[in-house]
Amino acid sequence: MRKGFWDGKRRYVALLMLIAGIFVALRVPPVVPIIQLPGEKYPPGTIELPFGLGVMTNTLMMSIIVWILLVILALYVRSRRPKSGAEVPRGGFYNLFEMVFEGLYGFVSGLAPERYFRPIFGMFMTIFLIVLLSNWAELLPGIDSVGFIEPHYEIVVDEETGEAQHVPTDGWEIYPAFLGGWALNGQCDWVSPEAEAQADADAFASAEQAAEEARAEAELELKQAGGHGEEATEAAAEESGHGEEATASTIDPDARAEEAFREAEAAYVAQKQARRDRGCYTGVAQIAWSDLDAKNFSDTTVEDDHAATEDEVAADAEHGETTDDLAAAGEEPSEENGGEEEEFHVDPNDPEQRKAWPFVVLPYIRSPSTDLNMTLALALSAMAMVQVIGFQALGLGYLRKFFAFENLFKSPLGAIDVFVGLLELIGEFAKVLSFAFRLLGNIFAGSILLFVMSFLVTVMPWPFFMLEFFVGIIQALVFALLTAIFMSLATVSHHHDDEHGEHAEEGAH
Amino acid sequence: MEQAQALIILGKAIGAGIAMIGALGGGIGIGLAVSGAVQAMGRNPDHTPTIQTNMILGVAFAEAVAIYALVVALIILFVLQ
Repeated sequence: MRKGFWDGKRRYVALLMLIAGIFVALRVPPVVPIIQLPGEKYPPGTIELPFGLGVMTNTLMMSIIVWILLVILALYVRSRRPKSGAEVPRGGFYNLFEMVFEGLYGFVSGLAPERYFRPIFGMFMTIFLIVLLSNWAELLPGIDSVGFIEPHYEIVVDEETGEAQHVPTDGWEIYPAFLGGWALNGQCDWVSPEAEAQADADAFASAEQAAEEARAEAELELKQAGGHGEEATEAAAEESGHGEEATASTIDPDARAEEAFREAEAAYVAQKQARRDRGCYTGVAQIAWSDLDAKNFSDTTVEDDHAATEDEVAADAEHGETTDDLAAAGEEPSEENGGEEEEFHVDPNDPEQRKAWPFVVLPYIRSPSTDLNMTLALALSAMAMVQVIGFQALGLGYLRKFFAFENLFKSPLGAIDVFVGLLELIGEFAKVLSFAFRLLGNIFAGSILLFVMSFLVTVMPWPFFMLEFFVGIIQALVFALLTAIFMSLATVSHHHDDEHGEHAEEGAH
Repeated sequence: MEQAQALIILGKAIGAGIAMIGALGGGIGIGLAVSGAVQAMGRNPDHTPTIQTNMILGVAFAEAVAIYALVVALIILFVLQ
């Protein structure tokens, strides 16, 4: 019945989700992420590992979810398993799983020695499922884009005093998006107060310079008007582009200077306005020229500008809370995220510096395969199991693979065997690195690809999701298959009758 | 300070670009593997599944080399300070 209901309707679900995705993408435009290779740490005060195990990271979180999913999968498959051979299993997902399982079973039975098939296939399937789920985790919507909105800083330790200091780094401004959540504003990269002040001072200096130039020009005109009479003044007036008829009496150097200054000020204000129109509150939009040692020029325009910015931000905040300071707007997400900012409040040595922080998203969860910890751990355990199975099959004779000294004095080629053995020993360690980096590189690069494509084409990055779907399967298969192959190779001794056949097989890998 | 920062970014970008030359080998390798596999499949289409699996394995191996280059490039770009 249920199946009948959904027949032919799934496509509309997909279509609806696509449209919803477009709306979300338009409301919260994607922001080029700040890419970080290690797993992002959960902010203090959220989830912490017991027993002083260290800091929770989002990749570890996803690993735990993957394990839970695997347990659920195992229980599900067990519960749906047909009781007797006569019973035909029903159910879509169970059948799919059985199909995949049988395919892989046949695949591995073709390459593993029969005696050690069970452990090898067990390892193969476990690794395959773990890696597959980990890889596919990067495809979940929101996995890299939804998370804690956190101030972004580096901890810089002063070499002389040994004091740690929080230094703001790259990041974005934030704005209230929807459902009380906050989003990064891709239009507004964060500008440090120093950079703001610098831009302000530069603009002020150039305005003053323009004023001085205008004054000098006017004084020159005044002199010319006095020396050469009317024509020269007119020419000068036209040159300076005023168009009005300038006589000696109308040329006022101070007025000209003021005018030039006002022009520069207006241009700067327009620049601020443009930034403010994009919804930014740091950068040139914020600082009033009154903050500088402005001489006699009033800065009412700019002051109004400043006030308007604050009002706008305050009005933007959907809960209607009035924000005294723009910094308050920056602090608000902490309330929504369980007040983890409180720890941070204690940390910075200088509360003034909190006035404006750049923000970044720390995703709640991230694909575990993008963390070297996970891939390296998996590679280590896989290669450890290879050694275990090797010892199981060959006993201590397994070591003769690596320390092949028995032929050293028997045949002239014995020395070569020694070298080959040592190379193989090194190869065992190289395999660990190769496993770890292959998986990490593929999936990390894939998730960056998805990031960047989501930013570039916003509403239609799904062909790349399709690509990564297949990459996920292939990498899981490769990881598991290589483990199975290495295990099978470890169970056979080099020094049997078919030595040449073995070497040929070795060479293929 | 500004110039030092710019120099660091310049070095990173050049380094990452040079590291990605390693992808050349992976590309050539994948091309060779697929060309051989396709020829083999053309000769005896009955063995297509076996050939395909082995081809994918080989492609993954060849790709791994390119991926190492990519990892180096990524480390240069995002991990080195």
